[in-house]
Amino acid sequence: MKNLTIRNLSKTYFDPYAGTNVTAVHDVSLDVRQGEFVSIVGPSGCGKTTILNMIAGFIPHTGGEILLDGRPVKGPGADRGVVFQSFALFPWRTVLENVAFGPKMRGVGKAEREKIAYEYLALAKLTEAAGRYPAELSGGMQQRVGVVRALANEPDVLLMDEPFASVDAQTRMTLQEELTRIWQEKRPTVIFITHDVGEAVFLGNRVVALSKGRVLEEIAIDLPRPRSWDALNDDPRFKELSGRVLQLVRSA
Amino acid sequence: MKPFFLNLWSHCVRLTARWPSIGSIAPFIPLVAGWWIVTELEVFPRAFLPGPVDVVRSFGSLVYTGILPEYLQDSMVRLAVGAFWGIALGVPLGMLVGLSQRAHTALWPLLLFFQAIGDIAWLPILVIWFGYGLITMTVVIVYTVIFPVVLNTVLGVRSIPITMHRAALSLGASRTRILWEVVLPGALPNIVTGLRNGLGYGWRALIATEIIVGTSGIGFLMFDARRAGSVVEILLGMIILGILWYIVDSWILAPIERATGQRWGLVTR
Repeated sequence: MKNLTIRNLSKTYFDPYAGTNVTAVHDVSLDVRQGEFVSIVGPSGCGKTTILNMIAGFIPHTGGEILLDGRPVKGPGADRGVVFQSFALFPWRTVLENVAFGPKMRGVGKAEREKIAYEYLALAKLTEAAGRYPAELSGGMQQRVGVVRALANEPDVLLMDEPFASVDAQTRMTLQEELTRIWQEKRPTVIFITHDVGEAVFLGNRVVALSKGRVLEEIAIDLPRPRSWDALNDDPRFKELSGRVLQLVRSA
Repeated sequence: MKPFFLNLWSHCVRLTARWPSIGSIAPFIPLVAGWWIVTELEVFPRAFLPGPVDVVRSFGSLVYTGILPEYLQDSMVRLAVGAFWGIALGVPLGMLVGLSQRAHTALWPLLLFFQAIGDIAWLPILVIWFGYGLITMTVVIVYTVIFPVVLNTVLGVRSIPITMHRAALSLGASRTRILWEVVLPGALPNIVTGLRNGLGYGWRALIATEIIVGTSGIGFLMFDARRAGSVVEILLGMIILGILWYIVDSWILAPIERATGQRWGLVTR
C-alpha cells in the first residue's frame, strides 16, 4: 500500500522585512491511505498551499518528515501529480500532447502514450478537444485537461491546489461532480486543498480543518457516493457536516 | 463624381481581400506617383533626382550585367551568416543568464557595457585586426544581432511562470529535459522578437559596414555609385534595402511569430 505519512511537518522561514522568523506550518501530522480522498480546508494564509508545495517537493520543509510509501520525499517527482490553480498547461502543446507529457517523460513510445492520453481524455469527455491548444479552451475545459494530465501519469498521490477556484460557479459544480465520478472510477489517492468548505465536504472522505498553520480537527465525511449537488444541496447530513467545518474554520 | 469614388473604393476593397499582397503594395502607389510627378515637372535637376523610370531602367541594366544579383547575394549571405551565429550564440547565452542567478550577476553588467559600444564603433579596431573583408563584416553583424537576441531571451526565460517548471518536474521531467520542453518554447515568442529587432539592426549595420570596408554588396554598390556620381544607382540601392527588409520581415519573421506565440495565445494579436 502506498500511503502518505506526514509527521510533525513544519515550515519556518526568515522574513527579511520584519527581521524575524515566521512559522507558516506548525507541527502538522496527517496519514493518507491509498485510495483516500482528503480535503484540506482553511482560510487564505493558513498554510495549506505551503503544505501542498512541501508534499510536492517544490519547497523544502524545515521540520518533521514526509514519507510516501515509507520513503522520504526529496524534491518534485512523478510519483506525486499536481493540479494547479492556474492550470499550468503548456501553451505550446496541444491538449493531447499535454496529457501525453508525463508518459513521454517516462520514455513511453508515441503511439502508446497517445493511446493512454486518449483514454484519459475520454474519461473527462475531452476527446474532441485533443488537437486544440490550451488558449483555445475555456477555463473549465483547461482545468479538466489539467486534472487529466496529472492522472494520465498515474501518480501515487494526486495533489490538487485549489484547482477550481478560478472558474465560474456553475462550471465549478460540474467539475466537482466530474471529479467525484472520476475518483470513483480510478480511485487515486487525492489531497485536495481548498478554502471552500462546501467543496471540501462534497468531495472528501475526510476533511482536515486548518488554521494558522495548525490542524484543528479531522472530520470523517460519511456521505454516500456517487455524490451530486442535486442530491446534496438539501441533504441534512451534508448541511450538518458543512456547518461543523465552517464553525471550526471560523472560530479559530 | 461621388458614385465613381465609391465604386473605385469598393473595387479596391474587393481586390485587396482577394490578393492581400496588393494591400501591402497600395500604400506605395501615391508615394511613387508623387515622386514621378515631381521629377516630370523637373522641380530639381534630373541628375540630382532621377525619376522612377530611370531607376527601373538602371535596375534592368544592373541585373543584365550580373552586378546586382551578385551584390544582392553577397549581402544576403552575410546577413544569414550573421543571423545564424547570432542565434547559435545568443539563445544559449540568454537561457543561461535567464535561468542562473549567478550567471546573471556575473554577465549582465558586461552585456550592458558591450551593448552600448554600438556595432560600427567596433569597425576601426576590427579593420586593424582583420582587415577589409568578410571576417570584419561577420563580426559586426553577429555583434549587432546577438544583443537583442540575448536580452529578449533573458526576458522570455524569466517571464515563464514558475508553475510551468513545477508542472513539468512533477510530471517526471528532468532539469535538462525542461530546457527543451519548457524554457525554450516558453521563451520562443521573445526570442523571435529579439531576432526581429536584431536582424533589423544587423541589416543596417551590414550596409554601413559595406559602405566603409566593403568590396561588394548593396552598401558597396551605393557608395561606389556616389563616387561615380550616379544618383540613380544610389536611389536603387535604397529602394532595394527597403524591399528586402520588407520581404524578410513579412515572409519569414512574421509567419514564425504567427505560428508560435500567437497560435499559443502567448502574444496578443
